[in-house]
Amino acid sequence: MASQGVPQRAQDRQKILLEHLRPVEAPAAAMSQSHLEANDCSAGDSSSYERRAASLDDVVVVSALRTPITKAKRGGFKDTPADDMLAAVLKATLQRTGVEPEAIGDIVVGSVLGPSSQRANECRIAAFLAGFPETVPVRTVNRQCSSGLQAVADVAAAIKAGFYTVGLGCGVESMSLNPMAWEGGVNPKIANSKDAQNCLLPMGVTSENVAAKFGIDRATQDKMAARSHARAAAAQASGRVKDELVPVETTWKDPKTGEEKQIVVDRDDGVRPGTTPQQLAQLKTVFKKDGTTTAGNSSQISDGAAAVLLMTRREALRRNLPVLGIFRSFAAVGVDPAIMGVGPAVAIPAAVKQAGLTLDDIDLFELNEAFASQATYCCKKLGLDEEKVNVNGGAIAIGHPLGCTGARCTATLLHEMMKRGSSARFGIVSMCIGSGMGAAAVFERGGETDNLRNVRPVPKQAHLSRDAAV
Amino acid sequence: MLFRTPFNGYAVKFSPFEEGRIAVATSQNFGIIGNGRQHVLQMGPQGLVEVAAFDTKDGLYDCCWSEENENILVSACGDGSIKVWDVQAPAQANPLRSFQEHQREVYAINWNVTRRNLFLSASWDDSIKLWDINAPQSLATFKEHTYCVYAAVWNPAHADVFVSASGDCSVKVWDLRQQRSTLSIAAHNYEVLCTDWCKYNDCVIATGSVDKSIKIWDVRSPTREVTTLLGHTYAVRRVLFSPHAESIVASCSYDMTVRLWDVAAPEDALLRLWDHHTEFAVGLDFSTLTEGLLASAGWDETVHVWNQNTDPRAA
Repeated sequence: MASQGVPQRAQDRQKILLEHLRPVEAPAAAMSQSHLEANDCSAGDSSSYERRAASLDDVVVVSALRTPITKAKRGGFKDTPADDMLAAVLKATLQRTGVEPEAIGDIVVGSVLGPSSQRANECRIAAFLAGFPETVPVRTVNRQCSSGLQAVADVAAAIKAGFYTVGLGCGVESMSLNPMAWEGGVNPKIANSKDAQNCLLPMGVTSENVAAKFGIDRATQDKMAARSHARAAAAQASGRVKDELVPVETTWKDPKTGEEKQIVVDRDDGVRPGTTPQQLAQLKTVFKKDGTTTAGNSSQISDGAAAVLLMTRREALRRNLPVLGIFRSFAAVGVDPAIMGVGPAVAIPAAVKQAGLTLDDIDLFELNEAFASQATYCCKKLGLDEEKVNVNGGAIAIGHPLGCTGARCTATLLHEMMKRGSSARFGIVSMCIGSGMGAAAVFERGGETDNLRNVRPVPKQAHLSRDAAV
Repeated sequence: MLFRTPFNGYAVKFSPFEEGRIAVATSQNFGIIGNGRQHVLQMGPQGLVEVAAFDTKDGLYDCCWSEENENILVSACGDGSIKVWDVQAPAQANPLRSFQEHQREVYAINWNVTRRNLFLSASWDDSIKLWDINAPQSLATFKEHTYCVYAAVWNPAHADVFVSASGDCSVKVWDLRQQRSTLSIAAHNYEVLCTDWCKYNDCVIATGSVDKSIKIWDVRSPTREVTTLLGHTYAVRRVLFSPHAESIVASCSYDMTVRLWDVAAPEDALLRLWDHHTEFAVGLDFSTLTEGLLASAGWDETVHVWNQNTDPRAA
């Protein structure tokens, strides 16, 4: 050793220590074992990593269903009370998943226009009509147009908090029976606050504000509206939206004869195939002379209901239910009430950041088309590829039953992601909210990361246990 | 609790006699070239306070408290020597002894808890030596491994039995009463860097390897490991059985993490993962006197002492 000298020794030491850092293939056993790793952010570093770590505490969606969305006052649900629509999706959810109703920890229903206390009562009635026992609680949530998504997020949060392991986030709206209205007077103090005054603006006026402020012209809006109809019609024709739909049997009063009929509503009736930008260009603007917002490039007034069943992954594995998607993040943010339509442009980046992702990681968007003006603006502002946004049409073609929309979009998004397979790993549901807010949630496709295996090979027994009698 | 050492940490050991007393072996320049320093720290209300420090010409790779005298500790030195220190004696009286027999770096050192005058040293000269603190020369040399020996650990129940881990990918079990090793296990496909005995079952050992895995073995059925613990993303540098629970194992790794495992539940074994080190985590010890207390040392020049239910960075 003395003969080697110090530099030689340092070199030898370095060599031995470097051997410790030799890159090594994971042992063969690693391939057959799934191992869990803790991640700071719920979705991992970025989607460019193929993530194998799936947590048993993930909140997953195992079912997302909706009624058809029909035109208010004229469509299939015009005489159907909200409780009947909600009961229909609740019942179908239980039937299709086989989850026993008493296992549900809470039913949270997004609802906007129904009278608050009465609607809460109607939702409770709907639960009974759907066969839920008295022990299952029900509540409503109202965050205007994002109520359905808020309901889903509330349930996910409660599951994360450990309040229960299985919950239903729903949305319902009958715009036929509960039209938009303002009761009572206006608080005179709003004279001092511009923002407070702007809360009272009709939504159409805020759409005109967005169009004017950000220079979204009429032709662009009409083009978008026509595309929405075309995509919805194509999806309807090819049966692509069939999986998310629950046909509903209901009574319908013929407006001409006054005769009551039993009908089955099984398709969205607002979609007009063959709608062209040229036809839409003929329509008159509603909110402003020389404006851009027309009935044709705004969302339709509609009726409908939707239900999303969430649980922990542990519970889904135990019940052997396929995971449709993983709830990754949710964000609601406030914006200027006068241009409330810009909400998604702020909420989407917030939700994406919370999930630990970048906008590039998102493969699919359900961005509610409250108005073509604001939807176009949000896509432009975020630089979204239009081929990734509302691929099966949006609210302009299908309709926007306010409280239902968030849950409806969740169903549409998750079913489309499942159909697209690994080419769509992350998806977003987002919408603008009256009085100036935006909301967005990030979902991850279930199959992509769902590598947790229920079945694992039994290791070979190398020796008998001490208890074994030989 | 945190203590910063001037050199890169290599080993940390709780005193078996005095609560909160900790020995830390460090090396300059990551132990590749330069001096070494043996620290003795004491946990107090002000955190970790240095009560003694001894300098050596070459880096220190491991240290170990005497089981006989609370003031004596030994260090494994890069120049092949083993230094014996007396914490109470004045600086000029130290080292009390220096055993110079190994031809290359001494990498590990372990004291016998039953026959309290004996300790083992493992060296990169491929040999293991048995020492009596009172004898001038080593009592025996065990040379069967064909590459660096990285660890030699006494069986807690049998004073004559110890296990050794080597870069020749094998783990050997030895009995002082026999000339040759009594068992040799081809434990991993890559170098084995560490090993330890279960404190409650005298037949069970754990091994950690460059292949990133920890394996649990039963010496009665050495043909196959009982369990494999996967999760470390680089070589496992130390693996230790808890002195307080049969199935709890702690490990530290070149992946900079310290982990706590329950080997009784192999498919869900990882109990804790700490990433407080910003460089290789190479020193680790359980306190035998305070249940749940852990200490770690790393190349990031820090020593951490923490309760297993807390974040090391919190205190």
